[in-house]
Amino acid sequence: MMLARPLHAAAAGIMAIALGLAWNASAQMLGDTRKHDSKRGAVIAAQGTAAGAPACAECHAFNGTSDGSGAFPRIAGQSAYYLAKQMHDFTSNVRVSAVMSPIAKALTPDDIADAAAYYAGVNAPFLPLRNSDPALIKRGEELAKVGSASDAIQACDNCHGPGGAGESPAIPYLAGQYAPYIVFELQMWQRGFRKSSPEAMAAVAKRLNDQEIAAVAAYYQQVPGSAKAKTSD
Amino acid sequence: MAQRLKPVDVVTIGVGLTGSLAALELAKTGLKVVGLERGAPRFTVPDFQSPAIHDELRFSIRKAMMQDNVKVPVTFRNNSDETALPIRRWESFLPGQGLGGAFVHWNGQSFRFQVADFIYKTHIEQRYGKTFLNACGPELTIQDWGVTYDELEPHFDRFEYLLGVCGKAGNIKGQIQPGGNPFEAPRAREYPNPPMKETYFGALFRKGVEQLGYHPYPQPSANLSRPYRNPEGLDLQQCVFCGFCERYACEHFAKASPQTVILPALLNRPNYELRTNCEVLRINLDSTRKKATGVTYVDGSGAEYEQPAELVLITAFPLNNVRMLLLSGIGEPYDPKTGTGVVGRNYTYQTTGGATVFMDESINVNPFMSSGAPGTMIDDFSGDNFDHSQLGFIGGQYIGSIMTNGRPIEFHPTPPGTPKWGLEWKRAVARHYNHTILVQQHGTSTASRLNYLDLDPSYKDAWGQPVLRMTFDFPENDIRMSQYVADKVVEIGRAMGGKIVVRGGTKRPYTTTQYQSTHNAGGAIMGSDPKTSVVNRYQQCWDVPNVFSLGASAFPQNGTYNYSVTIGALTYWALDAIKNKYLKAPGPLVQA
Repeated sequence: MMLARPLHAAAAGIMAIALGLAWNASAQMLGDTRKHDSKRGAVIAAQGTAAGAPACAECHAFNGTSDGSGAFPRIAGQSAYYLAKQMHDFTSNVRVSAVMSPIAKALTPDDIADAAAYYAGVNAPFLPLRNSDPALIKRGEELAKVGSASDAIQACDNCHGPGGAGESPAIPYLAGQYAPYIVFELQMWQRGFRKSSPEAMAAVAKRLNDQEIAAVAAYYQQVPGSAKAKTSD
Repeated sequence: MAQRLKPVDVVTIGVGLTGSLAALELAKTGLKVVGLERGAPRFTVPDFQSPAIHDELRFSIRKAMMQDNVKVPVTFRNNSDETALPIRRWESFLPGQGLGGAFVHWNGQSFRFQVADFIYKTHIEQRYGKTFLNACGPELTIQDWGVTYDELEPHFDRFEYLLGVCGKAGNIKGQIQPGGNPFEAPRAREYPNPPMKETYFGALFRKGVEQLGYHPYPQPSANLSRPYRNPEGLDLQQCVFCGFCERYACEHFAKASPQTVILPALLNRPNYELRTNCEVLRINLDSTRKKATGVTYVDGSGAEYEQPAELVLITAFPLNNVRMLLLSGIGEPYDPKTGTGVVGRNYTYQTTGGATVFMDESINVNPFMSSGAPGTMIDDFSGDNFDHSQLGFIGGQYIGSIMTNGRPIEFHPTPPGTPKWGLEWKRAVARHYNHTILVQQHGTSTASRLNYLDLDPSYKDAWGQPVLRMTFDFPENDIRMSQYVADKVVEIGRAMGGKIVVRGGTKRPYTTTQYQSTHNAGGAIMGSDPKTSVVNRYQQCWDVPNVFSLGASAFPQNGTYNYSVTIGALTYWALDAIKNKYLKAPGPLVQA
């Protein structure tokens, strides 16, 4: 066992690099033996922390559906790994947001892990939203499922899973995600403000034009059913 | 009666690696080029997208991307005393079919052959004396290629930059580079892209071989380590280690293939025309039988056409190049009894094998996170990199931990003694799946006068033409070589910490029922003498100078490595001669 432990730690680190994703947080998480406390996470979500971080629920709602405006992403049922990774990216300025960056910096790694564990476990309903133009949705579905030959864009679902259900833990679901949020994030990648996943998402985002971005966003927002329902069958 | 079409300048028979590359080079000169592909058109979008492309049953087991062997099988026997039978299910090797050919479902393992490979006979005689080869096996018929590594170097370079090969140079203009392969042939400059990230199994292999004093290096890969724009202006994306590379097409624009690095620059040219689902029956010759007039083919509806052309390029899978020459009556067929004739002679394969290394349960290999060329490897026992004078064989193999996948139907390692089914088998798979490392051997195949290709006397294809017959077994030389290397691999497996190491290595008889390699080579070999080669150093047919047979069918014997990059270099080399010499003065580029 004395020999096995360090080798195991090395395994996690090396394989993480091999996946080709920015996975530093994963190695930390795998090396971390503390069990995440989703009850404590629920308290952070509802009340914030004594150190001054506001309650997550102020924008994301206690059930993670946010408010439907699309200014804030839906985070209910998103993988804990992914949520925690984003928070660490806000802390390290790999992602930059005037709102989220200071909040993330006010949270401890344990706060982040617990809040992420809480929201990952929430099975929240989807808010009723007005659908976009059917032609736009159809174009978005094409891009999501097949890609674009002329722009050399692969299908979003290749990585984000059938119907955008996500490929947990590293790849977030898009099914039911708010269209304005998807649009905004793709633009952040295009313009170089979001530096996570530079080798995959930045490259894809730069190939998409404004219409295509609007189309994929419109499509994923209205994909019926929750990510959980999709992955459990 | 075949309908006669309007003449064109160039026809390629097959649109895979060599067919698309040659067409692009010649279309750029303004020539009217037609590509005839027996399979269907297919593109990254929409044909290669997931989840359909990750169907293991369809692609790995039922071989959906392979030559339709209901219509055109290959027959096989181990020696000329046996009766050959059709291979009805591809297992040992996997010839591709469809636009892009086998260069769609390849793994992206991107090596150059070595300096000695191209002057193999001369090299062996100089190093070990004139009698050494005969002592290794009187049946061995190795030859020089008629072209040298130095002549090919600029073409290797160009091809690697076309693909965006990822690697670490070991030898730049004679200067050994730290981190690279010290045994590699000198290259003019660094690889276009840095090597892929090292996997965990690769890191364990590296540690093991370093303990033993060997020289590990990252396997050169045409699955990309970063986004890349090639000299044709085409973009590749970064590989995501999905674990579906060999036998599959890449959904992610991350593997170099005709679809990603060649075809988009070719298909929009008005002087190029692609015709798919077109089966070429033969090359037509004029009454002198020294000039080709074009080809006859059948389209998807069964209609027969004659396509006149000034220049005919045979750009099919190597086995099919040889068959096309035989069906067309170009070159004298090889006769194993007398040793005369050339077409079909020196058919070679690849010696493969390797050890299965069962590790402790604390070692999580995660083989499913992988690419087609993820290896860490050594060349200490490749080719002629080690002294053979006391060994009684020529040739060698690279050794590498190259696990391309952990797919559920194909990968379930169990140690010897495990039942083949039932509860105990399931328990063993669960115990070992994530804790087993494969260490591969992959190397030279020595040409022998006993191994050859010809037309089968009994079996016909769907168009009533004789199918190709393969007569092949590994020469004893190659078995001795591979078993020598197998001992080294066992030592490496133990140094890696293997609890159980199952020895591998190539064995006789060769069987077509177990996957080994798709590096079928030879049969239409190149050389300096028309008595012992089908094509000259530019891969131009000695007998019919307006026919070139491009690809690995020209290899006089097979080298240590996966051969695609060497095919690419040879193709650029031939195209350079066609553009700069042949088109200016059509005729033989080398006087016989």
